[in-house]
Amino acid sequence: MPFSEFLDSRRKDAKALVAELRKEFAYASVLGADIKSKSVRVDRNTSNISTGRDTECGFVIKLSDGKLIYEYSLDDISGDIPALAQNITNAFRLNAKLMDCAVGNLHLSDEPLVQSFCRPSDLHNYSDNQLLDVCIENRDKLLSANEYILNAFAMVSSYEVSKLFISENRELDQNFAWINGYLMAIYKETEKMVQVREGVYGDQMETILSGMPALIDKLLRKAKILTLAKPITPGVYDVITDPTITGLIAHEAFGHGVEMDQFVKDRALAKQYVGKYVASPICNMRDGAASVVSAGSYFFDDDGVLAGDTQIIKDGILVTGISDLASAAQLGTTPTGNGRRESSRRKAYSRMTNTFFEKGTDKLQDMIASIDHGYMLFETNNGMEDPKNWAIQCVAEYGIEIKDGKLTENYVSPVVMSGYVPDLLKSISMISDDFVITGAGMCGKGYKEWVRVSDGGPALKVKVKLG
Amino acid sequence: MNTIMKLLQANKDVADYKINIHRKETCELFYIHGKLETVRAADNCEKEVTVYVDHDGFKGDAQFYVYPSTTEEQLVCLISEAVAKAKLINNKSYSLPSAETGSFIVESNFRDYESTTLASMISDAVFEANTLSGASLNSVEIFINKHTETVVNSLGLHKTQVRYDAMVEAIPTFNGDQQSVELYEQYNFSQFDPKDITEEIAGKLQEVKLRNEAITPAFPLNCKVVLNKLELSELFWNLADDLNYASIYSHSNLRSKGDFVQKNPTGDKIGITMCGQINGCIRSAKFDSDGLSLSSIRLIENSEVVGYYGANRYGQYLKEIPTGNLRCLSVDTGSADEAAFSAEPTLEVISMSGLQVDFYSDYIGGEIRLAYYHDGNKVTAVTGVSISGSLSEVLQDIRLSQKAGIYDGYCGPEKAILDHLKIF
Repeated sequence: MPFSEFLDSRRKDAKALVAELRKEFAYASVLGADIKSKSVRVDRNTSNISTGRDTECGFVIKLSDGKLIYEYSLDDISGDIPALAQNITNAFRLNAKLMDCAVGNLHLSDEPLVQSFCRPSDLHNYSDNQLLDVCIENRDKLLSANEYILNAFAMVSSYEVSKLFISENRELDQNFAWINGYLMAIYKETEKMVQVREGVYGDQMETILSGMPALIDKLLRKAKILTLAKPITPGVYDVITDPTITGLIAHEAFGHGVEMDQFVKDRALAKQYVGKYVASPICNMRDGAASVVSAGSYFFDDDGVLAGDTQIIKDGILVTGISDLASAAQLGTTPTGNGRRESSRRKAYSRMTNTFFEKGTDKLQDMIASIDHGYMLFETNNGMEDPKNWAIQCVAEYGIEIKDGKLTENYVSPVVMSGYVPDLLKSISMISDDFVITGAGMCGKGYKEWVRVSDGGPALKVKVKLG
Repeated sequence: MNTIMKLLQANKDVADYKINIHRKETCELFYIHGKLETVRAADNCEKEVTVYVDHDGFKGDAQFYVYPSTTEEQLVCLISEAVAKAKLINNKSYSLPSAETGSFIVESNFRDYESTTLASMISDAVFEANTLSGASLNSVEIFINKHTETVVNSLGLHKTQVRYDAMVEAIPTFNGDQQSVELYEQYNFSQFDPKDITEEIAGKLQEVKLRNEAITPAFPLNCKVVLNKLELSELFWNLADDLNYASIYSHSNLRSKGDFVQKNPTGDKIGITMCGQINGCIRSAKFDSDGLSLSSIRLIENSEVVGYYGANRYGQYLKEIPTGNLRCLSVDTGSADEAAFSAEPTLEVISMSGLQVDFYSDYIGGEIRLAYYHDGNKVTAVTGVSISGSLSEVLQDIRLSQKAGIYDGYCGPEKAILDHLKIF
């Protein structure tokens, strides 16, 4: 899987542009992105091979004069470089009023480093025809598996990333791929219709294609559960979370609150809790593009900072947050490699990558056995952050009632977890000794700036409000 | 574009083609504690080509992007690759929208201003509101976008539209003696009126002051719940999405024509129309990505499903008239006047983590960040509670306000009174 020829052809231009812009600005960098994404999808009546939503090809120029950060996004940087530099500079001739309220004291670091990174993938060993055939085969198996399936969908989506980062002292390039395979069904056994989805994720196509057939049984079981599920009686319960719900808690309940651009804005309560207990002492949490290989992994971030592996909570104590270049400059800390953009057309923010709780020492069956009455929650639906006030909203697809230490046949759906983050994290009393990361998520900041993330961990035993 | 068209026409396997060009010019300002931290500008042009191939009684399609760096030689290759992909796709045949031409401007006064000047004026209007003692705007992000969209197809369709929109994301914060609290504000608009912006932000600053004073009630609340336009938008979009041609064709729809969305309604009957343009809605457009002109269609009349809407291809599959991808939702206002909202105790939701609406599971609920409890005599700000209930029960006697409001692509009741929700 080769690095983008297009970006390679613009390497010299990027260096020349940085040199030109450095005449006027204390800091100048160019990030080039060439991302090819593809989606192969079939259902009962239609099929489709399309360019995926991640597809982009363009550049973003980042500049600073020590007072402000300036960014300019454009499609190409070739041609008359001095003229281009002048155009970019002219775009930022601001009126005096705007300049007067500049934040100031913005000195972006630019430590020397020249390196190329590649994570090989077998993506190119498979033709469109092969991918389509696998999708058709899985769709047909799913449709024939059960008379209650109104429609079945099979999809393989891939994206292949090439990025080039050039500043005065740094020259980095990276190349990697990620693939998601999904099966979905519209299922109607009773009056109640349900939609179900299962996925398999990885950086090798062989893993995805060979993993898809195994999703069919899981999908049918989930469809049955959702069909039988009843509304939950709202209340506070002892709860066991499956790894996806554990990941949702890590991500929504706490992760957003330690994105350090929120520290700069005084938007995160976590800022006051560094060095203090925020969770049960048996609780450890990390984030990092280098922590595991998953959907949020890369080699360097969109600020040209190498990927990190950050211990956020250690034995229940908040150690640090995660940062992009600008927030680290303003806080006087070292950037952690978490500067991410939705695309080269959007701003970089402090963002999560792969966020997870570390595994513990308990057996899942012991955790379930310890509950007289409660629920085990499964499958992330969605969640919403509230970093300032540490309110939680995490939605699980379904829950299974636990009675007298045993899982029952009583299902509830959907299940909304809500409450106060420290109450939830301090209530963690058992952590299982297994560990799963799910690599299919998209994460927004507020209601925008979508990036790919993963999250997960072991099963947790917590006490939380469900409704 | 002429080169692309010439090369597409030269490939004998290409039955039809469509070219979508979207140029987006932006100006963005990012403030932290009232100080400008980042200024962004972008000028990007995306060119997507869709190739259609008729084969074996089917129609297949495939897309590729064209970049400024794409050479003529590469274009020839990209077309051939797209043809090969399209030949793998066995979809039922359909036709592209036929020859219509035109240049349109979606109404906006943004074009009267240079973008940096407009951004600066919006900033002034936002910070003009920042006068409440103890309150502040910890973060403000301002986005101004100009979209120039062109659709060309092989049947002679050639349309261009220019649209403008702006978004202010503001984080109003209140620093009290015991705590500091915030709310989230995303304000979208396509007409610049500094007074509206200042009023909107000032309103949010007042709300965040009340969040600081909000209490978690020590007693159970057992009353009706009032939702505002943001949450109502979420609720009604769920109803409309279900009636999209693509949902119908894929069998994922819960309702069909003749079905009723409310069973034995005792409150206001729901009426929904999908529209191409609504004055003030940022999703207004003259045509969709296929180039189909957008007008409006009635989806729900007196609670009964009477129509569907959607894109060209699925409309033809269902033997319906393609309405195009309508992006504005108009909901009929109801019978509730101002007095109805204060006639009995209510919990008026001001801010939620996000209303959860699930018609499949018949569920509505979510976590409330700020609400006002009106007990008939006084108003108490409330936080730390959640709501949940059965959607079908809630819709049965929903009361919609007489007053209309706009949020994003929604134009409809400003408020609604909902019963049968558990507050816990």
